[in-house]
Amino acid sequence: MGTIGMKKFKVLGSAVALLSLAALTGCGVSNVVIEGNFPTPNINKLPISVAVYYDDALRDFSYIEYSETGREEFNIESGQSHIQLFNAVLPAMFDQVIYVDSIEEAQEYGVDAVFAPAIEEFQLALPTKTKLDVYEVWIKYNMRLLTVEGDYIADWVLTSYGKTPTESFRSVESAINDAAVVALRDLASSFSLSFAQVPEVRDWLDNH
Amino acid sequence: MKLFLISISLKTVAALFVLLGMLASCTSTTVDEFRQGETGIESNESIVILGRRQASDYETRSEFVSCVGKHINRGENAIHVIPEQEFIDAMFPWFEPRTAPLRTRDLERLMAEDVIANKMMEFGIRYIIWVDGFTETTGRAGSISCTIGPGGGGCFGFGTWEDDANFDARIWDVSTMSAVGIISTDATGQSYMPAIIIPIPLIARVEANACSRLAAQLKSFVHGS
Repeated sequence: MGTIGMKKFKVLGSAVALLSLAALTGCGVSNVVIEGNFPTPNINKLPISVAVYYDDALRDFSYIEYSETGREEFNIESGQSHIQLFNAVLPAMFDQVIYVDSIEEAQEYGVDAVFAPAIEEFQLALPTKTKLDVYEVWIKYNMRLLTVEGDYIADWVLTSYGKTPTESFRSVESAINDAAVVALRDLASSFSLSFAQVPEVRDWLDNH
Repeated sequence: MKLFLISISLKTVAALFVLLGMLASCTSTTVDEFRQGETGIESNESIVILGRRQASDYETRSEFVSCVGKHINRGENAIHVIPEQEFIDAMFPWFEPRTAPLRTRDLERLMAEDVIANKMMEFGIRYIIWVDGFTETTGRAGSISCTIGPGGGGCFGFGTWEDDANFDARIWDVSTMSAVGIISTDATGQSYMPAIIIPIPLIARVEANACSRLAAQLKSFVHGS
């Protein structure tokens, strides 16, 4: 093989390698870390002190969306954004808020109650599957309010929903992030406004 | 003879583009106004324009809301407009899609909250304008095919579609907590995309026209003229 032939072979080889790399990149799971800014609610504070406990399941929460062929398509990490949201909302809701690493630790601070949120379910709807012009996110939570001894005061389910329209020149990852941020704001609004109306919480607040 | 043919075909293509350009710029816009009460605004007062986002299958785009705000905020008789996101964040969580007031009596209930009434006063809000609507693309026709080869590439074909923008603006007077009017805008236009080697988009500026016409009407409505 001559020098020119060898060069052509190398160029062809490089092109094949690049195409293969592009194809492999297209097959990989896309990581989406939810990021957003959450304002402090304008609400009247409840005169109680609350210890907040985020367990590892909440801190490290991530959801995997599978393609129609069963391939991992998106890995959505929202644990830290949930913590950021609760950290913005809870101090506006209660007179005193402290953060603890275990429910037992709350006893040392002599607080009125311990709040421990948990994510039960996360759902994502992509326009490619729903044929709608919106990206949608649903999140189902289990909100738990406990005594410092660990007994339940209230245990209720809360759902949040967020959507964002499809737009030209916006990546799928960015649209998923926007829909998730809307869902998180929805959680903050419904949680902060409905907290005192949860029957068990209302009874507990009346007797407190 | 060959040069003459090329010259004719170039002229034909140019004429076609001019014709399509003229057609593309044809956007028809209708604005309807329904007044329910007297309006007027002082120089120290502001308005806020908010998009409705309660519908399940669409939501009013924040870009459209911002476009209307920018048009009202500038030019003759400009009115100070509070940016939508700044207002929603400052009022959090009362103006989120799930909690936003749908009727004026909901606003009345909301204003009973001291924190909300104080924020409204801080901003100097006189009118809240709720914009609800979307732009729909229909009647897509034609096709464009592109090829690429060792000697180069290019596209050939023709595509066309129609855009229809429908937006309603409901104006609430915060001082009287009542609805003072509704302005509706309907804009339609046909867009074309001929492709001879490169695709040339001749886009009808339907949403932009709906935005400027709605903004102009809102500005004169709020001033009471």
